[in-house]
Amino acid sequence: MHDHVSRSRDACYVLAVVRTPAYPAVYVRGTAARRLFPEVSVIRHDVIVLGAGLAGMRAAIEAKRRGVDVAVISKLHPTRSHSGAAEGGINAALGNATEDSSDSHAFDTIKGSDYLGDQDAIEVFAREAPNDIYELEHMGAVFTRAADGKLAQRPFGAAGAPRTVYSADITGHVLIHVLYEQLIKHDVKVYEEFFATQVVVDEGRCAGVIAWDTKSGGLHAIEANHVILATGGVGRMYYGTTNAFACTGDGMSLAWRAGVPLKDMEFLQFHPTTLKSNGVLITEGCRGEGGYLRNKDGDRFMVGDAPNAMELASRDVVSRAEWKEIADGRGVDGCVMLDLTHLGWKKIKSRLPGSRELAIDYAGVDPIETPIPVRPGAHYMMGGVDCDLWGETMVPGLWAAGEVACVSIHGANRLGGNSLMETIVFGRRAGQAAAERVLEQGDTGARIEPGVLADEDRRIAGILNNDQGERPGALREELAKTMYDKAGVFRTEEALAECQATVHDLRERAQTLRLDDHGSVFNTDLTNALELLSLLECADCLVTSALARKESRGAHSRLDHTERDDETWLKHTLNWCDDGEVRLDYRPVTITKHQPLARSY
Amino acid sequence: MTEIKNAHLTTLKGAYDTELMEATLRIRRWDPDTQRARFDTFTVTVPVTASVLDALDAIKDTHDGTLAYRKSCRMAVCGSCGMRIDGGAALACKTPMKKFVDAGHTITVSPMGNLPVIKDLVVDMAPFWEKIRAVKPYLDTKDEEVPDTEWRVAPEHGDMIHKESLCILCGCCVSECNSMESDPDFLGPAALAKAYRFVGDTRDTDTRERLRDLNGAHGIWDCTRCYFCNQRCPKGVDPRDAIAKLGAESFKEGFVRDEGARHAKVFVDSTFKGGYLRETELVPKTIGPVNAVKDIPFALQLARAGKVPNPLSPHKAKDNDEVKRLWKLLEKEAKGAERPRAQHPDAVREG
Repeated sequence: MHDHVSRSRDACYVLAVVRTPAYPAVYVRGTAARRLFPEVSVIRHDVIVLGAGLAGMRAAIEAKRRGVDVAVISKLHPTRSHSGAAEGGINAALGNATEDSSDSHAFDTIKGSDYLGDQDAIEVFAREAPNDIYELEHMGAVFTRAADGKLAQRPFGAAGAPRTVYSADITGHVLIHVLYEQLIKHDVKVYEEFFATQVVVDEGRCAGVIAWDTKSGGLHAIEANHVILATGGVGRMYYGTTNAFACTGDGMSLAWRAGVPLKDMEFLQFHPTTLKSNGVLITEGCRGEGGYLRNKDGDRFMVGDAPNAMELASRDVVSRAEWKEIADGRGVDGCVMLDLTHLGWKKIKSRLPGSRELAIDYAGVDPIETPIPVRPGAHYMMGGVDCDLWGETMVPGLWAAGEVACVSIHGANRLGGNSLMETIVFGRRAGQAAAERVLEQGDTGARIEPGVLADEDRRIAGILNNDQGERPGALREELAKTMYDKAGVFRTEEALAECQATVHDLRERAQTLRLDDHGSVFNTDLTNALELLSLLECADCLVTSALARKESRGAHSRLDHTERDDETWLKHTLNWCDDGEVRLDYRPVTITKHQPLARSY
Repeated sequence: MTEIKNAHLTTLKGAYDTELMEATLRIRRWDPDTQRARFDTFTVTVPVTASVLDALDAIKDTHDGTLAYRKSCRMAVCGSCGMRIDGGAALACKTPMKKFVDAGHTITVSPMGNLPVIKDLVVDMAPFWEKIRAVKPYLDTKDEEVPDTEWRVAPEHGDMIHKESLCILCGCCVSECNSMESDPDFLGPAALAKAYRFVGDTRDTDTRERLRDLNGAHGIWDCTRCYFCNQRCPKGVDPRDAIAKLGAESFKEGFVRDEGARHAKVFVDSTFKGGYLRETELVPKTIGPVNAVKDIPFALQLARAGKVPNPLSPHKAKDNDEVKRLWKLLEKEAKGAERPRAQHPDAVREG
């Protein structure tokens, strides 16, 4: 077994060069290039991780520890990934603050998911979370401590106990740096600023990826029997979003085109507290620490929808309440007010320094003195690439973990603090499972055939050289506004149908995008265009699924079908790619212990 | 279709309402093919809340798609968009445009310094990452297995590395580092702040080795203390302060042989003796008597220009006793303080 692995390593330092008239050849490294066909040589690894956020890095570290040759491909440097923007914290039932249990964590998650989460997956998740936290701490994560030196835990929305481990309000930042440190420690190879354009499937098995080298230009075939998708979310399809510019659903689109269905794409979480100017997130920790939401009259309007949990109700509930206040004219300049002034400067400065900085920078208010204007913004894709408990998709060797994946933990609505934990638990599991498969199975023989690379080369060259049509930026803005207006917090058949028509029109118009930049070095005009194509495919899946689901569940709230309908709709939506069109299909939800109950906070 | 009474709820009215302004930017362009630089000036319409990054986006989306720059989070946490704005490094996403527009000022945007330019505002960060790697940037606990509970760290000990752990590795400090300009191999403020993040971590067991390495060539003593890094850091990391803390920790571990360390020690000793710095002792005690002799011609030149104080009757403070009392107080505190250590999970179980 190990013989095989070392053989594949011998061949792994051959580098890809594609020579086309569109972009000059890049560079050749290694000695074995001549053994392959003259124009194209190929890099090989046992496992490729696509994306270098928390899930991707965690997967890579796990695979590397288990002794296989793993490489990370990311369109950004790892520490630039959007996991770093997570603020509030990471959930695990450690029981440091009060009595807590994995069962309780699991139940809160199931209820929060509006019973659409798969309960077997949620049980694994809640059970394995505590040890993963201890491991992160041992790697060096600088978490906030309680007086006894243990990890502090704060209350978060819809959680039965203070369960959220945190580092002030920069938890994601601390974690992304600690995993990057481990990536360096384990000397994992990273292809930085490589943009994956295709996941290649060879005779039903994963064969690797084709990626564009942003820094130098040129298309590279990078072969691996195992590819772990960890590319994150797709919030940029909405105008008001907390997500980074990079969150464009690339991995979802890659998987979809490779023949893997996207699951539950209609469930897109709106975060209740985002800034109007640029969508930047103000953490749920603000409410966890005791912040209030007020309308223009100064009333705490949450009393209507969640009289018990108030501001700490589940995110879908709070977002709907806010949206209603604003749409019914009880907002202030299109926002409601997040009031922290009663918390005092000391608590704000020690527990919420990052939020204060963001409010000052992007809303022009100091929350110590003035409430922050906030509104709901697109935040998190509960749906994603359909995969099993170990992250494997229907294509053997293609795996997914983190926001890109849909295991599904979050069902119709995610609880705050569960997504960071998901990246770690399921990132580790995917890395472990992929590595074990390499050691058991050896080379599956899947290869990227020259013809496949040549076809992709023609497609990219076509985009790169085109100077007719509309600019990617204009289409992206039209998409984002359409989605925010017609597939937002509240949905109707009529609005969704209009939205779908616009998305189809945009997909058509995006066939020819006008690029100004036809060069090969750091061409972000090209990557913007590729990102737009991913966004459009994901948006099509979202709106098609949402139009079909005639009920209200979690984040999917239909004004024309206001009730949850377990009889018909307690099932997962699957979006298949049918020659570029979305084809819907459904699958039952896994229920182990908890039968669906009415959900109130 | 069912009649819906509240269909107006689908769309947030006025969601995009915002006041607009015209912003003008002068941008240094670098063409990687021709290897030539030029300046382009653009005027774009942006919301009054726009950052410099938003203005660059408006240029790219509506005027010139070839403009290259890095961006991602637009909330000052990913560290992608470091660039020089009117000559000083800053995050474009954290710099509001409005103040410039109100002042009628056209800003000049150029790439960060001390790093090779790839295209327009994009620099090659490879040398930056190499230096981060060089300081062994990960916690070393010497543990093989992960214990089943956490280390116990007193909150105040965790706070010791609070500022350094805010670093987003954007490179703004390195861009402005004077020392690195003259010695490109200098580890630099970002890597050294990262180094202190581990030296100051009460869980790390490698403190002495780390400090020994940092006392080598291109290490902590090569900093010129210009404080530009503190000034330009967008996250309040204060890298120069971290370097000072590394110096203090080095003294505690007895790493005092570097010229830089000796130089610092002369300052301390001579203020103890006379309340003032004795410049004539500074040179021989820093670079050694032999090298000091070699520098005599230079010293004579200085003396001719009236730059050398009388070595026989140095300045002395009027009330030197007060200086000495302060000095002793500080020394006592420093000696009494042992390096705090976190409690290992095994120790927690035994105790």
